[in-house]
Amino acid sequence: MTEPQGTIQLPPQLSTIAPEVDAMYYAIYWISVAFAVAIFVAMGIFLYQYRRQPGRKAKPTGHNTFLEVFWTFTPLLLLLWLFVEGFEGYVKMSVAPEDSVEIRVRGMQWNWEFEHQGGVIDDLNRMKVPVDTPVKLVMSSSDVLHSFFVPGFRVKRDVVPGMYTSLWFEATTPTPFTSETECQSDNDCGSGYHCGQPREIPNGMNADELLMGGAPPEGAPEGTREVRYCSVSVFCTEYCGAPEGITLSAFSEGGYNSNHATMMADLRVLPVEGYDRFLEVGPPPPPECAGAEDVNVCWGQSIYQGSGCIGCHGNDGVRQQPAPNWVGLWGAVRPFTDGSERVADENYIRQSVLQPQSQIVAGYAAVNMPVYRFSDRQLDAVIAYIRSLTPDE
Amino acid sequence: MAVEAGTAAPAAVENDESNYLTAKSGLKSWALTVDHKRIGVMYLVSVIVAMFLGGIMALLVRAELMFAGETLMEADTYNQLFTLHGAIMVFLFIIPSIPAALGNFFLPIMLGAKDVAFPKLNLGSFYIYVIGTVFTLIAIVAGRIDTGWTFYTPYSSRADNAVIWMTLGVFILGFSSILTGLNFIATTHKMRAPGLSWTRLPLFVWGIYATSVIQVLATPVLAITLLLLIMEKTLTIGIFDPALGGDPVLFQHFFWFYSHPAVYIMILPGMAVINEVIATFSRRKIFGYMFVAMSSVALALLGFLVWGHHMFTSGMSEYSTMIFSALTFLVAIPSGVKVFNWVATLYQGSISFETPMLYAIGFLILFTIGGLTGLFLGILSVDIHLHDTYFVVAHFHYVMVGGTVFGFLSGMHYWWPKMTGKLYNEGLARVAFGLIFLGFNITFLSQFIMGSQGMPRRYYDYLDQFQPLHMTSSGGAFVLGFGFLVLAVVFIQSMISGAKAPANPWGSAGFEWMTTTPPHAHNFETTPVITRGPYDYHLASEEELFDGFPEDRAAQGAKA
Ligand code: HEC
Ligand SMILES: [Cu+2]
Ligand SMILES: [Cu+2]
Repeated sequence: MTEPQGTIQLPPQLSTIAPEVDAMYYAIYWISVAFAVAIFVAMGIFLYQYRRQPGRKAKPTGHNTFLEVFWTFTPLLLLLWLFVEGFEGYVKMSVAPEDSVEIRVRGMQWNWEFEHQGGVIDDLNRMKVPVDTPVKLVMSSSDVLHSFFVPGFRVKRDVVPGMYTSLWFEATTPTPFTSETECQSDNDCGSGYHCGQPREIPNGMNADELLMGGAPPEGAPEGTREVRYCSVSVFCTEYCGAPEGITLSAFSEGGYNSNHATMMADLRVLPVEGYDRFLEVGPPPPPECAGAEDVNVCWGQSIYQGSGCIGCHGNDGVRQQPAPNWVGLWGAVRPFTDGSERVADENYIRQSVLQPQSQIVAGYAAVNMPVYRFSDRQLDAVIAYIRSLTPDE
Repeated sequence: MAVEAGTAAPAAVENDESNYLTAKSGLKSWALTVDHKRIGVMYLVSVIVAMFLGGIMALLVRAELMFAGETLMEADTYNQLFTLHGAIMVFLFIIPSIPAALGNFFLPIMLGAKDVAFPKLNLGSFYIYVIGTVFTLIAIVAGRIDTGWTFYTPYSSRADNAVIWMTLGVFILGFSSILTGLNFIATTHKMRAPGLSWTRLPLFVWGIYATSVIQVLATPVLAITLLLLIMEKTLTIGIFDPALGGDPVLFQHFFWFYSHPAVYIMILPGMAVINEVIATFSRRKIFGYMFVAMSSVALALLGFLVWGHHMFTSGMSEYSTMIFSALTFLVAIPSGVKVFNWVATLYQGSISFETPMLYAIGFLILFTIGGLTGLFLGILSVDIHLHDTYFVVAHFHYVMVGGTVFGFLSGMHYWWPKMTGKLYNEGLARVAFGLIFLGFNITFLSQFIMGSQGMPRRYYDYLDQFQPLHMTSSGGAFVLGFGFLVLAVVFIQSMISGAKAPANPWGSAGFEWMTTTPPHAHNFETTPVITRGPYDYHLASEEELFDGFPEDRAAQGAKA
């Protein structure tokens, strides 16, 4: 990556608070080095000087009140200073500026969902923030503890079920989608960054141009290609487990978000215009659907695969566990645990996704479907896809 | 000291009271013994087995992490392994290691007492420890425990029911701690030999005494917490799980209210051993004796007020955060000053470098690093970045392994001749020390850097950029593991074919060396009368120090 460089000890400084935290880090680092060297050197000298030698006896231990008072109180003053400085930094981190942009963050095993202003949600684990603008995250969890950690920003906060927690930051370095930030592996990106999930991009352009509504240049080959971009790393640092007895494809092979260690998100710091445009149009249908016969069905299928519906719902007309198969769902009469019934139409599907617990299909009380928040366009796509699975008769 | 040096000739082979090991024989004589020394030995065997198990798990964890991606096992197995590594090392090894094993053996001897105040209770504590261990083992075998040793809710409220067995095991182990603590407190107050005033008390006793105070005060809180967790799981009462209307952060408060003081339960005994070893091998009283003694007690009490520093990112109020941070810095002072005192003790001493002293020097180095890196975590703004990363992992291993385990190993080497009556191969023991010290530093120095670069802990997989550091760390872990293997050879060889140890091989003025080796079944032939402090080398007579001066050992041809 270009721009701010990390050091041996710390990742690059990508937010306004980072230099301040690092200054404290290095202050205590050098103080520690000084103390350690002083102690070890004194020890070394004594060990050598007073090694046991024939005919020499140890001197009985005396008292030195001055010394004892001195080395009790001098460190105390130093520590007092460290405490005050550290607390000041912490207060800054805790109080978000009034004019912060607010983003809702929802943690769940093992994904992050980001609801930007106006309810705009990109795919799971994709987050966008504007550069040079304070951003406040309001976070909650739907299952166990998680913790939102961005090393490059030096921020971290637990995400707790049953309450809201928040943190704020102001990113200073845009992470553009240009060819310089394309990557094959995490080593291409440097610390603080990782190589994000692959995206489909029309040939001849990069994602920045796509975001800003550009079109492929004349003469670019038809079709799309898969590109990965360096993104600011977001980790989950509060342990949240792994599924039982499932062999996972490794993270490095793209097995994203299958357990605590891979609960990562791709964070992009966009120029303000780019961010505004993102809010305006919302996440676009995936580019691979551009030429599809029915864009919505194609998009719905990609949500089905990308947002994890596939883990529970089958689309083959056979698998009925742990959740109902989608083949034949459209237009069918659904029986619920409370004995009532309803025809599966647009509103029903919408409700099933946004409030899955409101009506539970009979026989499926044991498994809780997670709550998803999709934009209307995404919901339309899901509905179109489910509908396409039931042949019109 | 007016102890008749152990010259009483053993009369009969049967029931020879002059050696606690041979005083009685048969399995029953061990299983039902009320002799604190035998109980100590039984604890010692158990904690060493636990350490071995926990160590194997650590090596498996490090082996998995050598490469990014799946190397040996799947994520779920990995999660269980690091959980068990933590739980076994903390609850079955470190907490009982020094107090229950070495403390049981030496506290009464150092006090000039025949036994602890309540010998039968002491045996009871041991069996409670055994029962707790059995429950824990059942949980390991029967189920899938992947909560981490901290059992954080609501993850643990929803986890496999084996968690109930495990927490029940830890709950029971807690009672063993409490009862042992009570026993030691009573012993220290009531059983001191004539002339052994508080100001002459060996610093080992002070350390164990302070530890016992914490055990008695803090462990009940752990017990209550675990009980609440068990109740939540079995009766589905909402206490910690928000899905049932509970508060998950409450669990963290409860848990750390015990577990921070538990850090002192673990480290104070390590410091306690180091006091004895440094004094003996520099032939000098510890500088600032009273300060060192009182700082143990101060740590024991202050340690109760800082639990919140584990929760700076949890969403506590800013005010609580501020107070916990301030108090945490305050606690650093007594630990720091102890280090200064130890270094000052070396000044004008007469220092020799046998294995126990090497471990003590290792302790000073590693504990200093562990303590200083703790300051990084006390500074609020810096802790936010470092919390729950490998930096924390490295920090507490420096304190717990570099501190407590090095203290334990120092004590093992130091008292081994007294406990077994045998010497070990000094050369090989030094090799083991070298490997352990080197391996340890390679393993954990690399983790500091990983952590400050942002590598979170408890990760089964990681970004490629952390690969070199993980590889280094794993390499160090294997060196460390090999060092322990050599150590095992040293002790096993000593048991089989070690030369007979003299009563006082290091020439220490400490009281425990004044009895025979191995000690008499009742510790001393007659109740000793204490006439000087345990570190008053200038007051000790030549005979007291003579039996087996290290420098004479070569002359005697016992060991090089
Ligand atoms: C953890 C498993 C799980 C996942 C993941 C999941 N669901 Fe479900 N879903 C269920 C279960 C169980 C039911 C039946 C109980 C109920 O109605 O809540 C269900 C019901 C539904 C229904 C009503 C079906 C019917 O037969 O009446 C719809 C529509 C639906 N889900 C859509 C989705 C979509 C869209 C996604 C992905 C974005 C998704 N689900 C992801 C478990 C899951
Ligand atoms: Cu998580
Ligand atoms: Cu603590």
